[in-house]
Amino acid sequence: MSKNLSALSGRKGLENNLFERIGKLADTSGTPSQDDMRALSEEFLIGEANIYATVSFYDFLKKENTGIKAYVCNGSACMTAGTQDKVRQHLKEHFLENQIGEMSCLGRCHEGSAFHRDGKNYSGNNAHQQDHYHVENFGTQLLTGTALTIDDCIRQWKECINVSPDILLHEIVSSGLRGRGGAGFPIGIKLESCKNEISESKYIVCNADEGDPGAYSDRYLLEKQPFSVLMGMMIAGYIIGAHDGVLYIRAEYPESIQIIRQLANELMQAIQSEMASHDFSFRFSIIQARGAYICGEETALLNSIEGQRPEVRVRPPYPVQNGLFNKPTVVNNVETLASLPWIIQNTGKSFAAIGISKSSGTKLISLDSHFNKPGIYEVDMGTPLSYVIDVMGAGFKTQIKAMQIGGPLGGIVPIHKVPELNVDFESFASHGFLLGHASIVCIPENFSMIKYLEHLFKFTAHESCGKCFPCRLGSLRGYEMIKRAVDNQKLMDRNLFDDLVETMELGSLCALGGGLPLPVKNILQYFNTELSAHFTQ
Amino acid sequence: MNQIAYIDNKPFQLNQGETILQFLRRQCGDSYVPTLCDAPNLEVYGACRVCTVDVALSENGAMKSVASCHTPVMPGMFIFPHTDRIQRLRKNIIELVLTDHPKDCLTCEANHNCELQEVAALTGIREIRYEEGKNHLHVEKDTSHPYMRSDLSKCINCSRCVRACDEVQGQFVLSMAGRGFDAHITKGMNSNFSDSACVSCGACVQACPTSAISDVFQSKFTKGATVTRTICTYCGVGCNLNVAMQNGKIKSITAPYDAEVNNGHTCLKGRYAFSFYNHPDRITSPLMKKNGKFEPVSWDEAYQYIASKLKGIISQVGSDAIAGISSARCTNEENYLMQKLMRVVIGTNNIDSCARVCHSPTALGMQQTFGTGAATNSIRDLAFTSCIMVIGANPTDAHPVTGAKIKQQAMKGKKLIVIDPRRTELAKYAHYHLQLRPGTNVALLNMMLYFILHEKAEDHNFISMRTEGFEDFRTHVLSQNIDELEKITGVNKNLVREAALVYAQSDAAMSFHGLGVTEHTQGSYTVMLIADLAMLTGNIGKRGAGVNPLRGQNNVQGAADMGCQPHQGAGYLDITDPDIIKLYESFYGCELPQNIGLKIPQMYQATLDGKLKAMWIMGEDVAQTDPNTQLVKEALSKLDLLVVQELFITETAKLAHVILPGASFFEKSGTFTNGERRIQRVQKVIDPIRGTKPDGQIITEMMNQLGYPQPIFDNEKILDQEIAQIVPFFAGVTWNSLGINGKQWPVLKDGSDTEMLHAESFKRGRGKFVHASFQESNELIEYAEEYPYIITTNRELEHYNSGAMTRRTANKEILPEDLLLIHPDDAINNNIQNGDMVCVISARGKVDIRARISTDVKPGVLSSTFHFPEIMLNNITSNECDTQALCPEYKVVACRIKKSKIS
Repeated sequence: MSKNLSALSGRKGLENNLFERIGKLADTSGTPSQDDMRALSEEFLIGEANIYATVSFYDFLKKENTGIKAYVCNGSACMTAGTQDKVRQHLKEHFLENQIGEMSCLGRCHEGSAFHRDGKNYSGNNAHQQDHYHVENFGTQLLTGTALTIDDCIRQWKECINVSPDILLHEIVSSGLRGRGGAGFPIGIKLESCKNEISESKYIVCNADEGDPGAYSDRYLLEKQPFSVLMGMMIAGYIIGAHDGVLYIRAEYPESIQIIRQLANELMQAIQSEMASHDFSFRFSIIQARGAYICGEETALLNSIEGQRPEVRVRPPYPVQNGLFNKPTVVNNVETLASLPWIIQNTGKSFAAIGISKSSGTKLISLDSHFNKPGIYEVDMGTPLSYVIDVMGAGFKTQIKAMQIGGPLGGIVPIHKVPELNVDFESFASHGFLLGHASIVCIPENFSMIKYLEHLFKFTAHESCGKCFPCRLGSLRGYEMIKRAVDNQKLMDRNLFDDLVETMELGSLCALGGGLPLPVKNILQYFNTELSAHFTQ
Repeated sequence: MNQIAYIDNKPFQLNQGETILQFLRRQCGDSYVPTLCDAPNLEVYGACRVCTVDVALSENGAMKSVASCHTPVMPGMFIFPHTDRIQRLRKNIIELVLTDHPKDCLTCEANHNCELQEVAALTGIREIRYEEGKNHLHVEKDTSHPYMRSDLSKCINCSRCVRACDEVQGQFVLSMAGRGFDAHITKGMNSNFSDSACVSCGACVQACPTSAISDVFQSKFTKGATVTRTICTYCGVGCNLNVAMQNGKIKSITAPYDAEVNNGHTCLKGRYAFSFYNHPDRITSPLMKKNGKFEPVSWDEAYQYIASKLKGIISQVGSDAIAGISSARCTNEENYLMQKLMRVVIGTNNIDSCARVCHSPTALGMQQTFGTGAATNSIRDLAFTSCIMVIGANPTDAHPVTGAKIKQQAMKGKKLIVIDPRRTELAKYAHYHLQLRPGTNVALLNMMLYFILHEKAEDHNFISMRTEGFEDFRTHVLSQNIDELEKITGVNKNLVREAALVYAQSDAAMSFHGLGVTEHTQGSYTVMLIADLAMLTGNIGKRGAGVNPLRGQNNVQGAADMGCQPHQGAGYLDITDPDIIKLYESFYGCELPQNIGLKIPQMYQATLDGKLKAMWIMGEDVAQTDPNTQLVKEALSKLDLLVVQELFITETAKLAHVILPGASFFEKSGTFTNGERRIQRVQKVIDPIRGTKPDGQIITEMMNQLGYPQPIFDNEKILDQEIAQIVPFFAGVTWNSLGINGKQWPVLKDGSDTEMLHAESFKRGRGKFVHASFQESNELIEYAEEYPYIITTNRELEHYNSGAMTRRTANKEILPEDLLLIHPDDAINNNIQNGDMVCVISARGKVDIRARISTDVKPGVLSSTFHFPEIMLNNITSNECDTQALCPEYKVVACRIKKSKIS
């Protein structure tokens, strides 16, 4: 993170956004030309090295990937579904081997098979198949009901803007809403801290790049409940005094980007006169991500918007103090922001009454293709996990030995632990797991745990930003070690492996390197027998 | 309120806002907790994680591991820096690092000076248990550059170099590219040092904890070297340098982190351009011209010859037929002795220094308005200012460390106003670039003053409490015709208005000016208007404000302080004032001349008129650097005696009768005073090159030869027993008490020094508003029609003034010649391509310079340097001078151009 680069990028702001400019330069040939990069560096008064370095970071900008025409989803759900070798074979009929790349994940976990081509996602089962999944709720219908319309937004905006930000903030604080991105931090506190910062400009950022393989709830909200997300940002913006809302959306969700771009525009036009009459302006900027999982980490995301390398920043300072372009910024996940309109409509107290004490409200759960009824399910916090699996998802299609819940850094829940768990932050944490995004990826009985371990390390090594030593080095060395065990039956030194896991857990800068050890340790604990053959004693 | 945190259960007081690492270092010593990505002059980064410690929020509370470098220490925190798991963590991180690092410590440049080696040793690591995997061990070395080197197989990805390039120099040459394990350092777009935009400041070299980035001097290799701290001689910033000496030779130079002036940074001149000191061209014996050729002679022969010639001139023509030019590159002590030689021993006030040709208008202008001709504030004030105005200065080239500091502030959003005919590096980052026609500073400043008054943005309180002459000034300024001034300057009046109001309405605004202000016929008036601007807006006597001249040479301030001026003696005392004369005469125990002496341009004229017979020039190459070369050469050639003290046979030395071989700053001790009045200790690194002597010693010996008995030259005694006794603002200065960071004058008797001048009242009582109207330079009035272009002179980063030193280093490989900046339109009109030689002709003569086509200058304006005698740009510069201080007008020269016949 460079304060200078943040400030220099900030000089041009969001209207002439550096990252969007870089992205556009890559649109035709896949990567910006040297001349274009040089011109851009001169325009933004930064180094050629900075542009080059940013470009080299992203899967969909870097020169090495320019020839790739089709991408196979290699997310966890598609992997355990065992479908993707076939998809690749199919694609080979149309493309050369080196024209086929990988993307993670396209959010088609309900199908367990997907690929991407020319800016569109397709089902791996059948390219003409509609993108369809079940959406149901159990308990309060907060995020899965009839979608808000522009008129709803105008109505609510009129209500909001006639009361003071403090009153709205109070509702949100009293709702007890906690961030749905994984960390579970109360949004009220974030908004309040940012509101208290004195600054000419502030920002609301919607983190729509939490690319946890297995989770497609954000995609659902962006595409099916877009006005809840946009309205949530406007409410948050009004509370903290931000006039800019930035949606940073995964490139792997091209449809989401398209829908949000269009609707944000429509909303802005519809609400313009309301804004003018109240002397409060708000505008949306939509930034297309370019393929880097780490951008789901909020500080990496801020660097990314600025056109810097999306490396993780140290905290403090927190984004609420020093965020986008060095200005106070609230970054929240899609689901969190999408909950705000309901809270304002129905009071914070009603929201707090849903769920259990420290985990209020509802939670969206993504079920993968191993369920009989894959889809997005909304449940009140505290709902037994077994209900979600057995009733809502209608059980498994095949024999499942474990589930990874909450993304690639979520815990590995062996099937026998299911009855002990409820869908809330505390229940998962107290059993040594993580609610995270509450996505459920099933690991079938015949899928070897050493392969799953290899997948986890490979994913982390591929997505590590490379800043902190434990993650940059540890994820690769771990992957190499496991790969040797898988490919060559080379035994792993258990002490060394334990040291590595501990080093990443204690030492990593962010939740990527620091989070990987959770599923790894779950696997070591619950699948010790299966794995013991791979370790020296 | 006492706030306590615990280290291993022992209570310690914490400071508000410090990190755990700072707390631990303060309480337990710098190396208590190992670090790799941390560096003293860089922002916290949090990459290496070896500084991790265990922390509990209550006694026996749950422990959490946190990186100490970016975690704030909290009251009641229990910190355990060395638990078993923390020690294991550090060892395991190092083990991972070593899986991708060569095991060649014994043959590595950084052996015994490697932070990785140090931390590895601390962890007690004995083996690397990982099997060989992917690595970067075979990355090619970069040897493309005259100074910079990289061997990125040794890189540990701490990003210190990247951050130094960004946070210290602000150049953005380095970055990390790729991601994850593939993350690697890139220079430019995967280029090399030579082809990148690297300015060779070496900040990355100094920042590197291993030897992944180093230099040709192997500056990481310090085993067996003696390190001496001294002061750089390449500009008025006054960077502290740590010079490593091995076997009697200078090995390498780094910048001390605890230097208040440069905080661990310096530029390519300070860090790398030192090899001139033992260049084969060094003069190693006194030389006398016999039959038109220089012949080595003994010191005695040279001294006797000079003494007899001088005595002869004194008895036949008088003392005033002799003049001296002192050197702003020499120490205070040497400058003091030089003026003493002229005044006390020879008996003339004909003593001047190169301050004449650079900042004499500053001294005069600021003395008249404020009472003191020196920077009012300090560079440290940059941290406190909210608006920076840079006028007629290009500090990123000429004062690189200060330039970098200004750039850092501007990048982070502080308002920057640049007033310059060229689009300088800082102008690119400026919020307002007022790109005026050369020579119109007075017009532009009048516009600013006008708008501030017109919009009533002046500081009434300050004006009424602290100043005089306001009403006259106000009337004069408001009577200006703004539209006409707009036409004269060529700068849009609305832009000027905005900039003026930003300056006026900032909490604190500070100005910096350079030779683009002073080297004009209206130089002194420009300085006065800058002073007016500061007084008008209350920007004097407070933090982050002031008027701050950027001194060109390392000791311009000191040369003037020491009395190397024809009208003021040591301490700026008026040599025509009877009380002062009495004071000096009693101090020196002899009668002193009472008439104001000759200024440098007057010396040449006096010589041509036959009135001046002898000149003594110490360390100045006037034949190359003073304007109108042919006239200067003609004058010098006419002298009966020209004595030159020099390192090399410069253009001036070629014309001498006697050359006395002086010693470079590496070979002597003394003090320099930088642009913020900071008197700093210059300390001898090596003995003088055989056959040479420190200039102070030469002058002392000469004084003895001339019959004025002096003890053996001892810089400490000169400072303590002479300068501190006669220069009022040096009253409390002693060599020993200057310490490592020097003191800013005035230094009171009790030793306390002064960061900011005019805090309560001006030196002259009330600050005086002086008004002035724009006056076109005679040069243009006389020649603009025949010579329609204006060439303005400046400096390049790589070279220093005449280039006598820098041209004898590898800087010459980086920039081998003077270049002519020319706008593309002018190039097209004259059929000139980039790299073509251009013949530039003025009323004095012509020169051929290679074109660099650039939009950094406006059409009609050209720009070049006079670093190279092969070009001799001063052949075309004029004899116009500042009307008040006689500083030559290097900045406005009427010329015409044509494509040269030379290729």
